This record gives sequence, C-alpha cells and structure tokens, in this order.
Amino acid sequence: MIDLSNLNAKTNDLNTLTPENTALEIKNLDLFYGDKQALHNVSMKIPKGKVTAFIGPSGCGKSTLLRCINRMNDLVEICRVDGNIELHGINIYDKSVDVASLRRRIGMVFQRPNPFPKSIYENVVYGLRLQGINDRRTLDEACETSLRGAALWNEVKDRLHDNAFGLSGGQQQRLVIARAIAIGPEVLLLDEPTSALDPISTLTVEELITELKKKFTVVIVTHNMQQAARVSDQTAFMYMGKLIEYSDTNTLFTSPTQKQTEDYITGRYG
Amino acid sequence: MERDLATTLQANKKRVVKDKLVKYGVTTGGSLVLVTLLLIFGYLLYVVFPIFAPVSIEETQSFQRKDATPIYAQGIDEQNEVAYQMDEQGLLRFYSLRDDDLGQSLLQYQAFEDTNEITKTMPASGIFALTNMQGEVKIVKPSFATSYPNDKRLITPELDFPLGEDVFVVSENQQPLHHLAFEMNEENAGIAAVNDDGEGVYMLVSGEENFMTGDVEWSQELFTLPGFPNKVDQLLLTPNLRKLFVRSANDLMVYDISDTDDIHIDSVFKVNAKGTNVNNIQLLTGASSLLVANENGVISQWFEVLGENKREFTFIRDFKAPAKVTHIVPEFYRKGFLTTTEAGELSIFHTTGNTELLTESISKAGALNIAISPRANAILVSDKDVIKLYSVDNEHPEITWSALWQEVWYEGYPEPQYIWQSTSASDDFEAKMSLVPISFGTIKAAFYAMLFAVPIAISAAIYTAYFMSPGIRSYIKPTVEIMEALPTVILGFLAGLWLAPIVENQLPGIILLLITLPASILVAAIIWTNLPKSMSDKVSEGVLPLVLLPILVFTGYFSMAFSETLELWLFNGDTRVFLTNDLGINFDQRNSLIVGIAMGFAVIPTIFSIAEDAIFSVPKSLTMGSLALGATRWQTLAKVVILTASPGIFSAVMMGMGRAVGETMIVLMATGNTPIMDWNIFEGMRTLSANIAVEMPESEVGSSHYRVLFLAAFVLFIFTFFFNTVAEFVRQRLREKYSSL
Repeated sequence: MIDLSNLNAKTNDLNTLTPENTALEIKNLDLFYGDKQALHNVSMKIPKGKVTAFIGPSGCGKSTLLRCINRMNDLVEICRVDGNIELHGINIYDKSVDVASLRRRIGMVFQRPNPFPKSIYENVVYGLRLQGINDRRTLDEACETSLRGAALWNEVKDRLHDNAFGLSGGQQQRLVIARAIAIGPEVLLLDEPTSALDPISTLTVEELITELKKKFTVVIVTHNMQQAARVSDQTAFMYMGKLIEYSDTNTLFTSPTQKQTEDYITGRYG
Repeated sequence: MERDLATTLQANKKRVVKDKLVKYGVTTGGSLVLVTLLLIFGYLLYVVFPIFAPVSIEETQSFQRKDATPIYAQGIDEQNEVAYQMDEQGLLRFYSLRDDDLGQSLLQYQAFEDTNEITKTMPASGIFALTNMQGEVKIVKPSFATSYPNDKRLITPELDFPLGEDVFVVSENQQPLHHLAFEMNEENAGIAAVNDDGEGVYMLVSGEENFMTGDVEWSQELFTLPGFPNKVDQLLLTPNLRKLFVRSANDLMVYDISDTDDIHIDSVFKVNAKGTNVNNIQLLTGASSLLVANENGVISQWFEVLGENKREFTFIRDFKAPAKVTHIVPEFYRKGFLTTTEAGELSIFHTTGNTELLTESISKAGALNIAISPRANAILVSDKDVIKLYSVDNEHPEITWSALWQEVWYEGYPEPQYIWQSTSASDDFEAKMSLVPISFGTIKAAFYAMLFAVPIAISAAIYTAYFMSPGIRSYIKPTVEIMEALPTVILGFLAGLWLAPIVENQLPGIILLLITLPASILVAAIIWTNLPKSMSDKVSEGVLPLVLLPILVFTGYFSMAFSETLELWLFNGDTRVFLTNDLGINFDQRNSLIVGIAMGFAVIPTIFSIAEDAIFSVPKSLTMGSLALGATRWQTLAKVVILTASPGIFSAVMMGMGRAVGETMIVLMATGNTPIMDWNIFEGMRTLSANIAVEMPESEVGSSHYRVLFLAAFVLFIFTFFFNTVAEFVRQRLREKYSSL
C-alpha cells in the first residue's frame, strides 16, 4: 500500500510536487509578440534533478516557453509577458530581479553550437571571468571540471588553447554545455541541442544529458520524440501555445490522456 | 517527347552561350582594371626614373689644336655650336664646333700685346678682365648672336665691351698688377688687384646713363685696402660687390667692401682641410658658397651661417676629387661644379645633392682646361693637343636620395634641415626638395583627422549597430552614409573660410567644448539612469537619443558664450597672443585642428559605415550565448561583439586612413599649405597630395621639380598601397582568428 501510494505520487502527480522538489514553477503564463499571443495560460511545475522535455509541432511555443525561463525573450522588443515563473518562490519577472544574475543560475544551450571566437579554455571560463574571477588556479580547475562534466576533457585536454572553431560540431556543442555548467547553474535549458548534429554526436550529447541530471535540473526542447522518450523523465506536449498535456514521459508516450497528444505522438501531424 | 528534348537542349545551348559571355566579360573587365593600375604605376615610374639615372658623358666632336699656347679659359654658346678660348697671352679666339666647318677659326681679338694677367667672372656673366704690364685693365665679353638666314639657325661670335672699349688705369704708377679680380652686376663693376708695391687696391666703376643719348658714362674710384697681408695668393670678388676674398696661403680674409667709405676686414679664418693646403678658391653659382680646393683633392664648401650675432663663414661639407684639382668650374644656373686634375681626370659634383656624380679620366696628355655649356649639357675639354666636345647627360643632379630624404644644409640656413621650397624667381636659388616635410604633413593631417574621426565613428557604429532601435537605425545609417557623398571641396571651403575664423576667435570655447561635450553626455546618462522609473518610462527607447539634443545644444551654447570670459580670466584677453608669447606655441588660423575636424568629418562616414556593418553582422547566436551566461549587454559588447567584429572595424579604420592620406581638397583649402615639420596642433602642414595640386600647374614639364612632384605622387601611391596592404593583411589574420560560424 505504502509503496503504491508513493509510486503514484512520484510518477503521476506533477502538480503536487513539494516545494523542495520543485526547481521551477510556471504560473498562468501568457506571452504576446505585439498583438499576437504566443503562450496561453501555461502553468506547470518542473521537478528538481530531472530531465523535463518540451515537445510539440513547430511554432507551438515550446522554445518560447523555454526562453521565458531565463528571460531571453527580453531581447525581443515587442515581447510582453504576463504571469509568473518562480524560482525558489521568487518571481523571476519581478522588477527587482537582476537578469544577468538570473541567467547565471539558469543556463542555456542553443540549437546551433555557438562557441566564441576564442580558445577552448577561454570559452569555458568566459562566464567566470564575467564575474570577475581571474585567479588562474580557480579557472584551471573549473575548466577541467566542466569539460569532464561535459564529457569533452579527454578529447581536448591537449589543445585547450586552440581556437574553439577547430572542434567538430558535436564537440562544439559539448563545449557550449561545458561553458554553461562552468558557472554552476541550477537549471540548464537545452534548446534542441542536437538538431544540428550528426547521429553519433547526438548520441554522445544524449548520454551527457543523462549524466547532467545528477547535478542539474535539465529542461530540453526537442523535435525528436524518440529523443524525448530516451532522455527525459517527464514530458510536456504543447500545441498552439497551450500546454496540452504534461506528465511522466512513460505515461505520456504510452497512454496519453489527450486526443491531440495521441495524434502527435502517433505521427498524424507535426 | 523528342521535341521536348530538343527544346531543352536548345535552352541549354543558350545558357552555355550566356555563361561564356559573362565569363569572358568579367575576366576582361577584371584584367582591364589591373592593366590600368599597372599603366598608372608604370607611367609614374617612367616619369620618375630619369631622376635616378646615372650621369654619363660622351665624346661628340674632336679636333687638333693649331698651336700649343696654354689656355686660360674657354666657353661655349648655348647651342654648343661655337666655342672660344682665351689663351694665357690674352688672345681670344672663336672656333666652330659645327660638323661642316669643325675647328675653323671664326674671330680673334687681342686686348693687349703685353698681357700680364687675366681673370674671369662667374660663368653666368662670362666676362674677362685683362691687364697689361702698365697696370691698365680692359674688360671684354665674348658673346654670341643668333640669326636665321634662310630659316636656318646661325650663331655668329661677337665681342662685347660691357664697360666700353677704354682701358681703366688701376695702377697709378704704370706698374703691373697681380692677382687681378673682376666682377660686375647691372649697376657697378669692381676691379681688385695687388699692385707692384704689394698694396691691395679696389676700383669701383659706376655707370650712369646719359638721358639724352642713352650712352652709359663710367666713373671710377680707387681705394686701398686696409690691413692688407704681405703674401697674397688669390683675390676673389662677389658679383654683388659686397665682399672681397683675399687668400693668403691657408688663411682667408673677407673684406666688407659694400660701403666704399668703410672698407674693412670682416673676418679671417683658415679654410684648409685637415693636413693639407689650399690651392684654389672659387665661388659657386649664386655666389653664396665658396668652394675651397685643397692639394689632396678635397674640395670644401663654405657659406655664411647666422652665428650668435653675425653671419659667419662655416664649413658645410666636402667632396673628394681623385687628385689635386687644377680647375673648378661652376655650372651656370645650378649648384653643381666640375673639377679637373693634373692627371686629366674630370669630376662632376653637386652641392645640394651632396654627391660625386661622375669621375672619368678623359685625357692622357695631362692638364686640361674645361668649360661647361650654359645648359650644362656639353663640356668643352682642351689639353695641349686636342679640343674635344662631350655631351653630358646630367639632367637632375640635385635630386638624390639624400637630398630627398635626409637633412640637407642649404645655403644660408643655420643648420641642416628638411625643407620643401621648390621654386623662386631667381636662378641663383637653391631648390629645396625634401619630401620629408610633405610626407610628414600627410601623416600629420591623417593623424589629426583620425584622432577626431575614429572615436566618433566607431562609437557611433557601436551605438547604431548594437543599441539603437531598428526603426531609428534605418534612418540614421543612410543619413550618415550620404554624408560621404558631400563634395570635399565644400568641406574644405567651409573649414577654411567659416570654421577657421570661428575657431580662431573662440579658441577657449572650442577647447572647452571638447571637454564639456563628452562630459555633459556622461552626466546626462547618469542622471537619466537615476531618474524615477515613472519618469523615464514615459520616453520610449526609440526617441531616447532626442532627449540628448537639447543638452548638447545647451552645452555648445554655454561653451561658446563662456569663451570670452574664459579668455579674459586665463589668457589675458587674447588666446592667440597668450599661446605665442607665453607658451611659445605658434598659432596659424588654418591649422591641424581645423583639418582634423574637416577631414575627420569627411572620413567619419567611411569608417562608420564599414564598422557598423561589421558590428551588426556579428551573429546573434554569439550575443545570445554571452547573455545566456549572465553577461550584461556591456560585457557582451566588450568581450564578444567587438572582438568578433574586430577585422571589420580594423579595415574600416584603415579605409578611413587611406582616404585621409589621399584627401586633397580639404587639406589644400584648410591647412595654409606651409611645409613645416611640427606636431603642434595649432600649425598647418602641407601634404603630398596638396603639394602636387598646388605646384604641378606651375612646374616645367620634364624639369627636376616636375619629376619630383611625380615622385611625390608615387610616394603617395606607396603610402596608400602600404596602408591598404597592411589593412588587408591584418584583416585576413583577424578573420582567420575570429571567423565565425
């Protein structure tokens, strides 16, 4: 009995997560690009130390939602957000929140690898240098830890001071991940991190994601349903700016409760 | 179906033809551009090359002498067709140098049966003075008349008597004279000599024109030179009759004879080179420089240099002939001279160029007598047997590497200097064609223009590309770019005639403006960020820059209005006078500040446009990546955007630099064109381009001046070529390093 009830709470009910287990809580989020509404009343809790995947057809708003989490949408001038996203109970859209510090705690990796035109080493320690850390030993340590964390250390340890553009696409993407984890974020947002990579690199990055969740809360946007099924613990399906269904990954892929979800995962559209 | 295939094939054919046409068209166009560039380059070199061509001489005529009397001096006419010789007996004989009657004697004249001594003036006047055993002096000038019978040029020798055919009695007791010296100018003539008693005498002959008959009547006065040395080796007069040089062994006495009532010794000094003795002195063309020949073949140049209180003769430079010099012959109109040695060697030197242009052994018969033709394109050489005419190819002796690029001690200057002063009305003028001051001017103008333009253009580019809202950017960018189309002549005109006087009158205000303008912007920015949100939110980001406008206008007005007060407080009411007198800074109305602003204005659009494109095209993914790592916009800008855009920003600056170096109209109109070398911002400059524009119209085609101007163009070409190459090279390197995605 006890086992069963625990199991149920753990697997099914994402809405009743305790605050300690919640990394982020999104509350009634609406987002407008000018007059056009891109997100409609999205509410969800993202559990700590898990991989959460956002899936859905192109233009469904999953990337937009992801960018809301570290306020990258601020850069779009015509974008307006209503509602709350809470990190440890603090609304990140509150006027007192410093965006730069927020992004230090919620890291992000983009679709295409975007290393800076600097050496591998400088790429990794970039975020630390921004915070004014210039102590050589601290930087060296952080660089090694992060590159190991991103499963790249063995490949690049002998050429840390070479230009990052010398790396392959997959290595660049892992470098970008190393760069993001070097500053020790709590949450890592991955925006279709493998869409520009070949299958083997994709596999490496996927394995890396599984490793990453031991230390970080990972939120991943993906087009690839197999990928979502492989790497994530819970999955949110979005359609037309609405959160249609959000549950445990197994449940969502095997017994979706919504018709639209079923249509999507069975390949009727998207 | 078949038909379809056929039409498809036909279409392909058409495409192939078009493709070929385009290919050949583009190739031809590209090649033509290269060919044009090479042609320009080639033509510049073709015009410049003769400057550096080596000097050569070639024998053209030669005939046997009819007698063996030693020759005192000789000369040629301008066309190198008739020559004359004055032998040591005082016999003046003209010869033909024409092919058809080569060596034929044309005219003879003997002034005295008992000629004692002969002297001659500077070659440009070419007059002989002869004296007989009774101490009488006669003046004769061999000259040439040109006529055109049957439309053919004919040169006939003539005799001139510039002081009349009468003799001048210089020795009162009918005794012979020694060391005769003679010179004359348009008004007076002077005869100097040593009489039999060892006294130095000077006779001044003044001419006065009779108004009725137009004849000139000559009056004469005789003076005795005070403090005359016992032993005298040589007397020499200057054509302006202000100085008499008396050489006694290695000592040179300079008599001031400009005021005949007060003839006195000006200075006495030794002129010999170290460890040897003087054997001859001779004036150089223009009579400012004295050439002193020594027995070891060293010829030193001396001229007057302003010392502490007076002008003193100073050793300037020396030249080395192969052996003891027998004759020094200055050229007619240039600062060059020729020497001969006892061994029959001929050397050609040039003082400004500081070079030995040629040394050649041309006679085995020993002592030579030489004369150079007025156009310096032929030399008449006689030894005791033969008379020879050589043609000389020595068009540009004054232009040498050292004259162009090193400090040269010009006649009358206190020290060696870099000077550009190409022309003067006088033939005696020593042209000063150092490219250093005008190259310096080019760099100075470009430097001040860049100092003004680079910070403004790049900050504007950063702001426009990175911070400005897209709406305003779409207006600002084309507006700035259209500034580039503004004709520079208008900018130059405004700078020279409108801005320069304002800056001159409001100098404290302008300087104040340089400080207050950036400061007011900063203060405004600080105030703005500290304003309550409710107020700052009322202004949308798009029109934010407009808030700054009234502040700038007010600051400008305030600075200008405050100018006069400031001038009264700090600069005693007149900044110009204060700068010049109290700080020792020269102030020109058209100065580097004006050029910096005007030319800066001209290059801002170039730099802005390219730099803005470079910054704007930094991939957004990099910016996003940086921001996502918790960087502020400023950090992202400084550490990622500018770094990635650096190749573009660098080439923008270099393009601006290239433009500033080559710019002509602004520097021509707003600099004052003074070729001085000084970084002082309140003085003007002359640039290579403005120099070419100013002087090319008045330059004689084919002259040294003309070729040096082409050389200046070539140097300008090298300058821009250099900047562009460096820019391209660095850009490639940066691009390799920061090329992204």
